[in-house]
Amino acid sequence: MKQILKPFLLLLTLSSILFSCTKEETTIEFPVTAITVSNLPADTVLGINAVTGMPFSAGKYTFYSLERNAIVPNADSASTKWDLAFAGTKILINGGTSGTGLGGAFIYTGLFDNVKTISNDSVFKTDNAPASFAVTYGSGKGWYVYDQLTSLVTPLAGRVLVIRTASGKYAKLEIINYYKGGVTLPITASDNDKLSKQRYYTFRYTYQPNGSKTF
Amino acid sequence: MKLRLLYFLIFTPICLFSQIPFVKDTIQLQGDSVVVTATRSERKLSNVTVPVTIINAKSIQQIGALRLTDILKEQPGITMTSGFGAGVQLQGLNPDYTIILINGEPLVGRTAGVLDLNRIALGNIKKIEIVKGPSSSLYGSEAMAGVINIITDATTKTPLQTSIRYGTYNTIDAGVNNTLASKSIFYQGYYNYYATDGYSIRPSTASRVTTPITRLATNQQFKYNLTQNTNLLVGMRFTNEQIKNELSVTNGGLTINSNGTEKNTDYNVSSSLNHRFSNSLKTSFRSYITRYNATQNLLTISGAPYTDILDHLFNRLENQTDWVVNKKLTAIVGGGAVMEGVKSSRYDSEKIRKTNTNQYAFNQWEWTPNAKLILIGGIRFDQNQTYASAWSPKASMLYKINKQHRIRLSIGQGFKAPDFRQLYLNFTNAAAGSYSVFGTAQAQKVIGQLNSLGQIGSLYNNFYQLKSLQPEYATGTHLTWEFEPNAKSFYSFQLFRNDIRNLIEVQQVGAYVTGAQIYSYLNIGRAFTTGLEIEAKHQFTNHFSISTAYQYLETGDKDQIAQIKNGTVYTRDANGLSRKLNVSEYVGLPNNSKHKAQLKFNYNNQNGLFGNIRALYRSKWAVNNTNGNEVYDAGDSFAKGYIALHLAIGKDYLNGIGFQFGCDNMLNYIDALNLPNLPGRTFFATLKIQKSQKHIL
Repeated sequence: MKQILKPFLLLLTLSSILFSCTKEETTIEFPVTAITVSNLPADTVLGINAVTGMPFSAGKYTFYSLERNAIVPNADSASTKWDLAFAGTKILINGGTSGTGLGGAFIYTGLFDNVKTISNDSVFKTDNAPASFAVTYGSGKGWYVYDQLTSLVTPLAGRVLVIRTASGKYAKLEIINYYKGGVTLPITASDNDKLSKQRYYTFRYTYQPNGSKTF
Repeated sequence: MKLRLLYFLIFTPICLFSQIPFVKDTIQLQGDSVVVTATRSERKLSNVTVPVTIINAKSIQQIGALRLTDILKEQPGITMTSGFGAGVQLQGLNPDYTIILINGEPLVGRTAGVLDLNRIALGNIKKIEIVKGPSSSLYGSEAMAGVINIITDATTKTPLQTSIRYGTYNTIDAGVNNTLASKSIFYQGYYNYYATDGYSIRPSTASRVTTPITRLATNQQFKYNLTQNTNLLVGMRFTNEQIKNELSVTNGGLTINSNGTEKNTDYNVSSSLNHRFSNSLKTSFRSYITRYNATQNLLTISGAPYTDILDHLFNRLENQTDWVVNKKLTAIVGGGAVMEGVKSSRYDSEKIRKTNTNQYAFNQWEWTPNAKLILIGGIRFDQNQTYASAWSPKASMLYKINKQHRIRLSIGQGFKAPDFRQLYLNFTNAAAGSYSVFGTAQAQKVIGQLNSLGQIGSLYNNFYQLKSLQPEYATGTHLTWEFEPNAKSFYSFQLFRNDIRNLIEVQQVGAYVTGAQIYSYLNIGRAFTTGLEIEAKHQFTNHFSISTAYQYLETGDKDQIAQIKNGTVYTRDANGLSRKLNVSEYVGLPNNSKHKAQLKFNYNNQNGLFGNIRALYRSKWAVNNTNGNEVYDAGDSFAKGYIALHLAIGKDYLNGIGFQFGCDNMLNYIDALNLPNLPGRTFFATLKIQKSQKHIL
């Protein structure tokens, strides 16, 4: 797995330190910082079926732990070790029909930085396959749009996945890109590139390990 | 008694020809500077209060235009759109909002609001008049952006004309036009055959952007002068279009074929009985029947055969009376009734014709207080069976400052009635996610039934707001200053603004249990288009002239602008992180270019030699909301700006033989994705034979 973990952008660290300095100087808190994950493969396309002409993949989810910021082996899919699972544009949480954890999620419309506290009346949905998923699945319904003309997937700006993890902690996550290298392909890219370079997630997230709903 | 004879004549004009005694024709032939569309009566262009463009037959022929699309795309302020055939976008407003008339009668048969103007052959057209600005006060629904009136005139004594043209992609066009005229009877017959192999400009597919098409068009016109003051006009038009679709998509070495045929027929019969009681009073009774039938059959190797039918029938009866009250005041009063019906496989039953009736009355007063000023006021009322009625007022003026300067100002309201699709569509797209669209006339009932069957998962708030649709309204203001320093130069500056409200938009009103969307139509949108048009023409020598035009256009959805100002619309920064969109990044409505310009050189000499070079520029336009934020902004996909350069040269000999050669899109500009109607560089050659002929009957 070519997974590049960027511990953090210096700028954001500085700003959050500044923030904590001005507000709560006395409290000693583990700094809650945003982490960027790049090129996370999510059931990437392996080839094209010669009979049907349709692309095919291994059909396996990539399980991810937000707490440990690492991929969880598929062998642990039945555990609470993972928080999110990715396959194509489908994202599962570890709860409901998808897992044994306490996971849940909802999609907030607004900016990542503006999600500072999850209000108590927020409703976390859980997965109820195949009818509904906590992270709504489908073009224009959840976190992305798919353009039939250009065959490109674009994550919607101003969408934050507010997540309850398998262990009942909270995180917020913004999906930045769906293509390898973190840059959406030009519409003129070849069909082959559009297939082989998709399903690579770039996202940033903030995980609150203390169990509170404040970031 | 005479009246009965007349009605008989409407249907059997030919057999009676020989029995009619010849009477001297007193109806004046129209000069080319006469406009009828602006006021529904003959006026000199220099006395018209609203912005009008006239395209005459000579300029149509000299650029080698075959179809209505070819000539309209070279007019200032007009852009051709490419979804569902070639539609016309006038001053930034979509094809739904321009009414297309042939001799004053509307064409029907729109697909998704677009009337494919490739249907109209130009061989026998005398002139085309384009009125810009809302004109519903005279023409009713659809005349929101303006009116395009195609005028064929049976009384022009053109001799037998034949022409044949051959061009790239095996494009053949052959036409015959003949006029027979006596002192009291005119007959003009026009026949046109057009065929093309089509072309493919997409690299990875064998399917053709323009598919193989065969078109037949005929137009017969009769005019009979019953008495000195009474005449009868009958026009019959028929077009037939056959399109072959052979779609072949290659993906990863595998090819999927589907093939189909599309057949579109269109006929109309119009008749009018015109009587002049005195020099100050005349009246005209008109009847019009038209029908458009489109049938599409598609067979794919992987799916079931697919048939799509649209059948639109439109009948109209109308009277108009023109009254010259005194030297300073004239009036037009009129009224009529429309009965129309549509059958479609996309409605609940393709066997039952959905019908609608409309009654209307209009009047217009023209006051000329002095030689410098003309004031016009008019209003029309349309009452409808299925949707709310509409009042359409309009006021306009012309002020002639002096011989060189003129100012025109018009303010009018236009409307577009909800169409049959918006009322009766009952369509579920099984091929793409099984979403459904229901017209408002049935949406609540149909969705209610589905709900009782347990198929509805959720209903949105706006489902409960569904009610009978209202017309869409536009208020338009046009201010034009014209300057003619001398007989060789002409300049025109125009400011325009259109405000549209009650826009009918597709909205999701609920979802099935499966999650598939359910859509219907609501009157919710507000938009505007505004801009500037400049035209300049100069005749350098007797042979050589230049004309140029420029349009600046701004458009926008007012609700979207409000959302952006509220900070609820997002985009991404250079690092891909979300941020709020700024109003300055908003680009307005899709498919609209901010800048359009054209430059045309024209040469004509007394020996019949002619030539022209036309350069048409269009700046970039938004095509696709790629970032999914529902507004068009700097982060979306744009089609690149481009220049299309066309050339035509020819010579007409005195003996009636003429040659023409042309090259369209000389720079070979291709944008397969955004300009499917623009093939690469194409060539054509035309031979015309025009025989001077005695008018025998």
